Amino acid sequence: MLSLLWLKGLIARRSARLVGAMAGVMVTVALLASIGSFIAASSASMTRRALTDVPVDWQIQLAPGADVAAVTSALGQATSYQALAEVGYADLSGLSATSNGTVQTTGAAKVLGLSPEYTQLFPSELRLLIGSMDGVLLAQQTAANLQVTVGDFVTIQRIGLDPVVVQVAGVVDLPQADSLFQAVGVPPGAAPQAPPDNILLLPADQWHALLDPQASVRLDSVRTQLHVRVAHDLPSDPESAYTLVQQRARNLEARVAGSALVGDNLGARLLGVRADALYSRVLFLFLGLPGVLVAALLTVAVAASGADRRRREQSLLRVRGASSAQILRLEGLEALVVGVGGVLAGLVLSVAASPLMGAPVAAADMAVLWLVVAALAGLGLAAGAVLIPAWRQARRPTWAGIRTAIHVNRSPLWQRAYLDVLLLVGSALAFWQMANTGYQVVLAPEGVAQSSVAYQAFLAPVCLWLGVGLLALRLADRALDRGRRVVSWLAQPLAGRLSGVVGASLRRQRELITRGIIMVALAESFATSTAVFNTTYNAQSRVDAELTNGADVTVTGSTASNPGGLLPQLASLSGVVAAQPMQHRFAYVGTDLQDLFGIDPLHINDATSLSNAYFANGDARATLAALAAQPDGVLVAAETASDYQLQSGDRISLRLQSSTDHQYHVVPFRFIGVVREFPTAPKDSFLVANAAYVAEQTSNSSTEVVLLRTSSESTDVAARVRTLTSGLAGVRVTDLGSTQRSISSSLTAIDLRGLTQLELAFAVLLVGAAAGLVLSLGLAERQRSFAILAALGGRSRQLGAFLWSESLLIVVVGSLLGVTLGFGVAQMLVVLLTGVFDPAPEGLAIPAAYLVALLFTAALTAVLAVLAAVAAARRTLVDALRDL
Amino acid sequence: MREPAVVDAQHLGRVYRRGNAQVVALASATCAIRAHDRIAVVGPSGSGKSTLLHLLGGLDQPTTGTIAWPALGRREVLRPTHVAYVFQAPSLLPALSVIENVELPLLLGDMDTTAARNAALDTLERLCLSELAERVPEELSGGQAQRVALARALASRPHLLLADEPTGQLDHATARQVLDTLEASLQDTPTALVIATHDPAVFGRMRTTWRMQHGTLMDAAAC
Repeated sequence: MLSLLWLKGLIARRSARLVGAMAGVMVTVALLASIGSFIAASSASMTRRALTDVPVDWQIQLAPGADVAAVTSALGQATSYQALAEVGYADLSGLSATSNGTVQTTGAAKVLGLSPEYTQLFPSELRLLIGSMDGVLLAQQTAANLQVTVGDFVTIQRIGLDPVVVQVAGVVDLPQADSLFQAVGVPPGAAPQAPPDNILLLPADQWHALLDPQASVRLDSVRTQLHVRVAHDLPSDPESAYTLVQQRARNLEARVAGSALVGDNLGARLLGVRADALYSRVLFLFLGLPGVLVAALLTVAVAASGADRRRREQSLLRVRGASSAQILRLEGLEALVVGVGGVLAGLVLSVAASPLMGAPVAAADMAVLWLVVAALAGLGLAAGAVLIPAWRQARRPTWAGIRTAIHVNRSPLWQRAYLDVLLLVGSALAFWQMANTGYQVVLAPEGVAQSSVAYQAFLAPVCLWLGVGLLALRLADRALDRGRRVVSWLAQPLAGRLSGVVGASLRRQRELITRGIIMVALAESFATSTAVFNTTYNAQSRVDAELTNGADVTVTGSTASNPGGLLPQLASLSGVVAAQPMQHRFAYVGTDLQDLFGIDPLHINDATSLSNAYFANGDARATLAALAAQPDGVLVAAETASDYQLQSGDRISLRLQSSTDHQYHVVPFRFIGVVREFPTAPKDSFLVANAAYVAEQTSNSSTEVVLLRTSSESTDVAARVRTLTSGLAGVRVTDLGSTQRSISSSLTAIDLRGLTQLELAFAVLLVGAAAGLVLSLGLAERQRSFAILAALGGRSRQLGAFLWSESLLIVVVGSLLGVTLGFGVAQMLVVLLTGVFDPAPEGLAIPAAYLVALLFTAALTAVLAVLAAVAAARRTLVDALRDL
Repeated sequence: MREPAVVDAQHLGRVYRRGNAQVVALASATCAIRAHDRIAVVGPSGSGKSTLLHLLGGLDQPTTGTIAWPALGRREVLRPTHVAYVFQAPSLLPALSVIENVELPLLLGDMDTTAARNAALDTLERLCLSELAERVPEELSGGQAQRVALARALASRPHLLLADEPTGQLDHATARQVLDTLEASLQDTPTALVIATHDPAVFGRMRTTWRMQHGTLMDAAAC
């Protein structure tokens, strides 16, 4: 009965306190549930994408003499599958062809035997460049080496048998050559095997007719693989999906008892994805948890703002004979109302906000777990915010509770122990250690089923956040205590002759004021660090896509299909701002064939962006200027420079294919620097040189690539470019937007927009709450003081002097501190999460508009809180006087 | 020629709204207060004493009747200089020290900061409270706090001092001490004093006693 009475009273008379605390719990729960749902949904999306990305899930290599039917049957028992094709692999001594009266001969080659339906079953393995898919196909590089094209004849040099001649029906690109020619069954951690330089593809019947006899001569030169797309009935979590796929592969190997080995491409892909998934989890937690913490602190602050009133209520209850247990039961009722109400509202809010994130809350089974975790956290927070202070109060003697809370305490333990300084030193040490020892946040070693996150990476930003927060608390407290004259002087414009009294008032209420400052600072730091990191991330995601794609729109052809010939037309297309041709050739560095990019160093920047991070000296402009000044200059990969002990100015000899005789000839270059990344360049070694010099030395002025910078939507421009280049066989047009959406090799492929939009919205809410709610609840708690001030004859302007000074102090100092801390944390996150970025950003991107909106929100809510407090002091004067 | 009245009230009434209900806090009060008056307003709890004081001091506005302050001016200029209050409950601002609390009405009245500080110190000295000047309210006893509240009210040398049961929360000895201080401070000043009280020891020391019953001021018409 008493409980019901108390509850009724709370709802009727303390609704602001209840709703305030409930709102804090709601935001905490909603933020936590949303982050969790996003983590679950993004993991599921990464798994889904991995499943569709893999061209062939399993390549089952049969032992010589193994029974294909038996292995197929075992496969059906180990797992269900969607597609299966038998592929023959055979080694050749080489290939040769006659062109323009000269005979071109290659070294060792591979020949595949493909069934007619293979390209339908596994479409992403082959891409037809010219000719027809029906018949003998040559890989592009092999066709170039042999100088043959569709209709030409190629001689197959079989091992131990007579050569045979076949006619080329088409030239293809093998985009997945690395996995297609992987060495199946090598131990984990073995160096990856490069795909063969020379590849021929035969229809299965023809392959069997020509190569089956070779098996009887050299058994080990002929193998059979089963290419399989397994059923994708896998868990949404990449780690679990990887484990299941691996178990099925092992199961199959056990069933066939040594007669086949599984090349588990799907498992390998999921292995990579689980690292990305862990990265994403770390990233989202890094970004989101401070927000959750701020929301929780706000809840505690809101609950604490009623401490004086609560103290009086408890004292009255005890005076009237209520036991501590009874008091705690009543407080527990309040905690329960706050907790249940806040949790329900938070869950509803997170579900309502899910469309904003672009991922449904129930997108993954893990999402339910996150909702439960969020709900429990909300209940725990309500209990902690309401019950713990009540319990502590209930243990005090009655008379102590009646006294008010304005008093000068001994410094708290953390101040006496210099915890703030220790945390900052700890943060600096952790950061220094992390940034200088080549650590990895996510450890996912190949061949190891379990991946892990180096959670100690959290230490530096967490310690920084807490350390700065506590240090600010100490300094603000100290400044208000000892800097009364300065504070009074600062309050002069607002308070006039009352400035001294206002300064004294601020000094004695410094506990409340520093609490407000810290709340605003933490909320603003969360908002700032999220916004800055998000802007940097998005900018870098674009850089990543531009690096992969080359430019806004990239036209890629070949020496024969030369898009450079259409340069004037491309440049004059609507939406094209600049067009730059670029050669993409191949050059031998010793025996290593590397990609060679020929550019115009003075104008390449017109069409694409070259980041300083692309070059070892960290200066793109200087490197390009040096290349322009040295016509035979060449930039090489760090690995090449190291292998050949190159020093700047060294002469190096590369072999380039000449257009006059199609032979590779030595061309002298001068080493001028190291390049790490370059638009469209592969991850491994490549070269960058002056296009004019390459053209002169190879008697070939073709430009295989054209880079376009656009002023409008790159996808639209790409469509126009496709129409223009439709006459050029094999020309490929790619655009930045599509590339940005399709990159799956790095974490920047994850679309953070949904989550960050949500977090940024919450951040604005938290800043508003910190500046407005904490202030107005604090002011409401001191309503009596304002009523006395009004009763003494204080006019609105004079009453406002106290309130404006206080709110200005809270908002201005809190914002300054928060924005500075936010930038610091963002910078730290960018350095610590270097693995997320490819390439690493040169600096932080500043979301100016958002920051202005944030500060405006803080200022606006503070102004509203003060205006409301002034109005309330006047409105409730008579009521307050009745209590005096 | 007789001095104009400090307060002249005719048929004052005050009705509050509480939801749909109307609460009559003051049914009718007609009275006049002049300089040097020492008036005790007595009556049971809920008889409308506090409401009458609020109306007399311009803190609240009547719903019926008229009120004027012929010797003081419009309602807007009454506080903080001409009219001062002493409340029953602790009413010192907890964030300010004793001296700051006392000088506050003077500063609110736009007095120069040095002059306000000196006047506050003088008042504290007059009331023998100088040693408390730097303390904060929570460091004061109930009696000390009420004497400081009195000092705050007297610092601006008001024409009208309204005290709402100023000794209601004090023991007899402390209450007597506060009243002694009050009387001594007002001696030789034209300040009119109106005290709402239950305490016979208080109204016995006043020259005039007004009685309140059921929201009506019974016997002030003669004033």
